[in-house]
Amino acid sequence: MSDHHPSSAISAGVRHVEALLESRGLLDPGEIDARIDAFLAGGSPANGARIVAHAWTDPGFAGRLLADANTAIRELGLSMAGGLQEQRLKVVANSAAEHHVVVCTLCSCYPIALLGPSPSWYKSEAYRSRVVRDPRGVLREFGWEPPADTAITVWDASAESRYLVVPRRPEGTDGLAEEELARLVTRNGLIGTAAV
Amino acid sequence: MSRINDVGGMTGFAAIVQEPDEPPFHADWEAHVLALNAALIRRGIYNLDEFRDAQERLPVPEYLAASYYERWFAAIRVLLVEKGVVDEADLEPPRG
Amino acid sequence: MADRFAPGDRVRTRAADPDGHTRLPRYARGAVGTVVERAGAHPLADERARGGAPDPHAVHHVRFAAADLFGAGDHDVVVELWEDYLEEAP
Repeated sequence: MSDHHPSSAISAGVRHVEALLESRGLLDPGEIDARIDAFLAGGSPANGARIVAHAWTDPGFAGRLLADANTAIRELGLSMAGGLQEQRLKVVANSAAEHHVVVCTLCSCYPIALLGPSPSWYKSEAYRSRVVRDPRGVLREFGWEPPADTAITVWDASAESRYLVVPRRPEGTDGLAEEELARLVTRNGLIGTAAV
Repeated sequence: MSRINDVGGMTGFAAIVQEPDEPPFHADWEAHVLALNAALIRRGIYNLDEFRDAQERLPVPEYLAASYYERWFAAIRVLLVEKGVVDEADLEPPRG
Repeated sequence: MADRFAPGDRVRTRAADPDGHTRLPRYARGAVGTVVERAGAHPLADERARGGAPDPHAVHHVRFAAADLFGAGDHDVVVELWEDYLEEAP
């Protein structure tokens, strides 16, 4: 995938197709802008951070989250139904024994309705090609590597589920409130390319 | 036949580049392409797998030269023509 | 309809290289893995990509040892696969 190209020509092309479809009754006036606004107001990594922090502080919720994430996240007022259709969310939790990392090798599947757009690196051939084969090498490039005795499992989002990783709760955070814990969680942590 | 999108396990792509504080979109038209695709799928003009298939069928040099949302827009154009929604000539903005 | 596969079952993925859209990645073809759990049921993507609207079929998370996929590596890869891509492995 190349870098982002100068956009004036393609921008004109996109506007032209929108106007063409509008003139044929296949798009409603204002529909595209409304969809963009709704999209930008929808998913956010902060939703994932809330889920993780709640799982850290409530073992019962953590259990329900791993068993049936779609139902469990409704306890927090969140849902996987914001996209074209409700998608199944599969949550995996890191431990001392096992570290999880998520990829879509065939395209770029990601829980957009929950977490917002994925980072560009997640969509890149560089990441998608290598992480299934050499996850430790890839994680080292991200500046962090699980201990040698931690097994690594790579999840390929090759069908209809979308994935979220619950990182390990950092040591020394016993006194923190749930909101403070949520601020520790990064988008990379939710994909598995950071410790938290 | 194995397609250009199916890259799992390959080597030789560029290094992984992280972009600090990356915005949701890098240009306004990217957001428009995303919304346009969602609108067309909602209307049943095509489905999500047909959309993925149309990207995978792009000529490989064009696919590799394109950015992420350029691929999306190319696939949308292919499907609009194949589904008989528009003629190919209609897709080009008038010059001038 | 009962699931063809249950968690713990050993399965082999299809080796064929289909002439069209598919969601069985090339690196996971002709490989033996273990069913982890069912991931719902959905119309097969291969057929939907041809404009079809087939009945939902079961989808499973299948765990493979990296060494069985790439000949090296001590990690596992879990791939999400339609039952259509799978057959029982001895």
